Amino acid sequence: MKRYDLIVVGAGPSGLSAAIEAAKKGLKVVVFDENEKPGGQLFKQIHKFFGSKEHRAKVRGFVIGQQLLDEADEAGVKVVLNATVIGLYQDKEVVVKLGGEVVHYKGDAVIIATGAAENMVTFPGWTLPGVIGAGAAQTMMNLHGVLPGKRVLMLGSGNVGLVVSFQLEQCGCEVVALVDAAPRVGGYGVHAAKVARTGVPFYLSHTIVEAEGDECVTGVTIAEVDSSFKFIPGTEKHFDVDTICLAVGLSPMSQLLKMAGCKMEDNPKRGGQVPISDSYGQTSVPGIFVAGDVSGIEEASSAMIEGRMAGNVAAEYLGYIEKDALKEELDTLDKALDGLRQGMFAPSNRGKLIEKTDEGIEVSQSLLKNGYIADEEIERFPGVVRKVGVHPVIECTQNIPCNPCQDACKKGCISIGKNITSLPIVVDGSECINCGMCVANCSGQAIFLVDEDKGDGSAEITLPYEFLPLPEEGTKGFGLGRDGKVVCEAVVTKCRSSKAFDKTHLLTIKVPKEYAMKARFFKVS
Amino acid sequence: MAERIKEHPILGDIKKGEPVKFTFDGKEVMGYEGEPIAAALKAAGLMVHRYTKKEHKPRGIFCAIGRCTDCVMVVDGVPNVRTCITPLTAGMEVKTQYGVSDKPFEEQ
Ligand SMILES: Cc1cc2nc3c(=O)[nH]c(=O)nc-3n(C[C@H](O)[C@H](O)[C@H](O)COP(=O)(O)OP(=O)(O)OC[C@H]3O[C@@H](n4cnc5c(N)ncnc54)[C@H](O)[C@@H]3O)c2cc1C
Ligand code: SF4
Ligand code: SF4
Ligand code: FES
Repeated sequence: MKRYDLIVVGAGPSGLSAAIEAAKKGLKVVVFDENEKPGGQLFKQIHKFFGSKEHRAKVRGFVIGQQLLDEADEAGVKVVLNATVIGLYQDKEVVVKLGGEVVHYKGDAVIIATGAAENMVTFPGWTLPGVIGAGAAQTMMNLHGVLPGKRVLMLGSGNVGLVVSFQLEQCGCEVVALVDAAPRVGGYGVHAAKVARTGVPFYLSHTIVEAEGDECVTGVTIAEVDSSFKFIPGTEKHFDVDTICLAVGLSPMSQLLKMAGCKMEDNPKRGGQVPISDSYGQTSVPGIFVAGDVSGIEEASSAMIEGRMAGNVAAEYLGYIEKDALKEELDTLDKALDGLRQGMFAPSNRGKLIEKTDEGIEVSQSLLKNGYIADEEIERFPGVVRKVGVHPVIECTQNIPCNPCQDACKKGCISIGKNITSLPIVVDGSECINCGMCVANCSGQAIFLVDEDKGDGSAEITLPYEFLPLPEEGTKGFGLGRDGKVVCEAVVTKCRSSKAFDKTHLLTIKVPKEYAMKARFFKVS
Repeated sequence: MAERIKEHPILGDIKKGEPVKFTFDGKEVMGYEGEPIAAALKAAGLMVHRYTKKEHKPRGIFCAIGRCTDCVMVVDGVPNVRTCITPLTAGMEVKTQYGVSDKPFEEQ
């Protein structure tokens, strides 16, 4: 039987981070992953991530995956792909299916970082070809370059449903509706807003009645539900679609831990069956650790920190580092993780209705119900100010762990402060030079540059644009409101692209000046 | 192939293997070597991979990562091949699976 100091199961952000950390401390480490490509969820994520610089914010998911791989390589970690772990025993024997072969390995320590699997829901017609998981849609479009469908209905308004809807639109699919049985949007408001402004209608308190079609999906009916999730007769709505995409949550893939005899618990706040572990990933079985989504559904940013924690703890467990050194490492990591776990979407706030921001500002109810902030709500947020000349308008209105906008502005126009979850504000007396870095670097595509009065009855708005084809200067079209509806005529006056913008293009449109604070997207006529 | 992404705003050109021919129920279809069989079928607009044994209900891609077994087909005579994680090669014979056979139910 082959022996390693540390065996890591899963090459996602948590597993790779754990392996890198342990290898740097001198452990002989192997990582097994069932996929053909390493990186876990990261390889399907093409959007810029939230967080701060230390959490690789504003870098696109698949790029973070590549960075981790390079680091793992450098640290001497062995990554074995197409390797499904099918067994884990208390004595840390790991059984791996490699191609057709079953191979046994022994680890002195084992870290389980298997991530999560998608949840399912059933409704009449749910087994028809054309009903797919959100992960499947991502795999098709982002890994294989194949359109998952042409007209898609998305079920689920969590971050996955929102992000995947946007990705579907980016590759040319039409998302006809975003539906959720819950009364409020589950994911970040900024993700919802960037989908809503392209014209996708949100149906909260709605769910699927039936998927239609004989051989494959040809349509779908949804209806409103009451507070006990019963259909309200007469509220049915029909859509012609060829694809129904399900994004109804993730559950930890914790079977291996159960198999190894780790004590488990059912914890809805963590997303389901999870191992009981201390805050650094030690399970009830000495030498078996967990990190990432398998120990509670969170984010890649927290998964990476948890991975580093587990890697360090494993190093100390096997005597590669001293207790003092471990404590020092963990103290720093604790602080970073704490920072991420603040704000409205913190694990401790799951399921709670939050009415005010940390700053005491009333949360936008329209954002939660419709996916966009209403015109009359927008000006109460500290990122939205009126000024003469070009200035940033920051439509980021919830306390989320994110701050690349602050780092982006070298002129000091944008501030979040020490607390990473505070709302971004426009700094009094600051001078914007219209460089566009904030617009391109904002992970939520929530920053616009506005010149409210050009002196000729028009205003100019610069917005982030990640679609093809890129409209050229002079292109005529319409300004769309935050709700995705046409509000005015608009013409493109500039389209900026640059390496520093990392594929987010900056589209400047000219609109009648009454629409300076209303138009937020552009559609070619 | 109408359903391929020509140019992606973030990913640019998505790297593909050599174009190859294979057959679906005897008809010639084009795909790219090394991509999952299911991706090639999807790009060609082919949705139904199999019919269930008891109720004869159609199934197609669902998870696309080899977990659900909805996408299994008869490939080069072998039934129950998960097409979403099996790479395409030139000349592959891919057939709709009826129950566990490539013969339609009325011929079984
Ligand atoms: C659409 C979407 C958008 C997201 N956006 C963001 C974002 O903006 N910011 C952010 O921070 N996070 C985001 N996330 C979340 C983030 O991707 C996950 O939280 C993170 O990937 C979890 O990391 P992990 O290492 O725990 O698990 P994963 O990334 O899921 O990796 C686990 C790996 O283990 C493998 N595995 C599982 N079981 C076995 C086995 N038995 N044998 C071998 N291998 C196995 C899996 O195949 C996988 O490769 C997003 C997620 C999704 C789905
Ligand atoms: S455009 Fe440039 S100067 Fe103006 S706020 Fe944004 S980053 Fe700062
Ligand atoms: S405005 Fe700042 S904090 Fe809000 S999403 Fe954009 S980068 Fe993050
Ligand atoms: S689609 Fe689920 S196994 Fe292939």
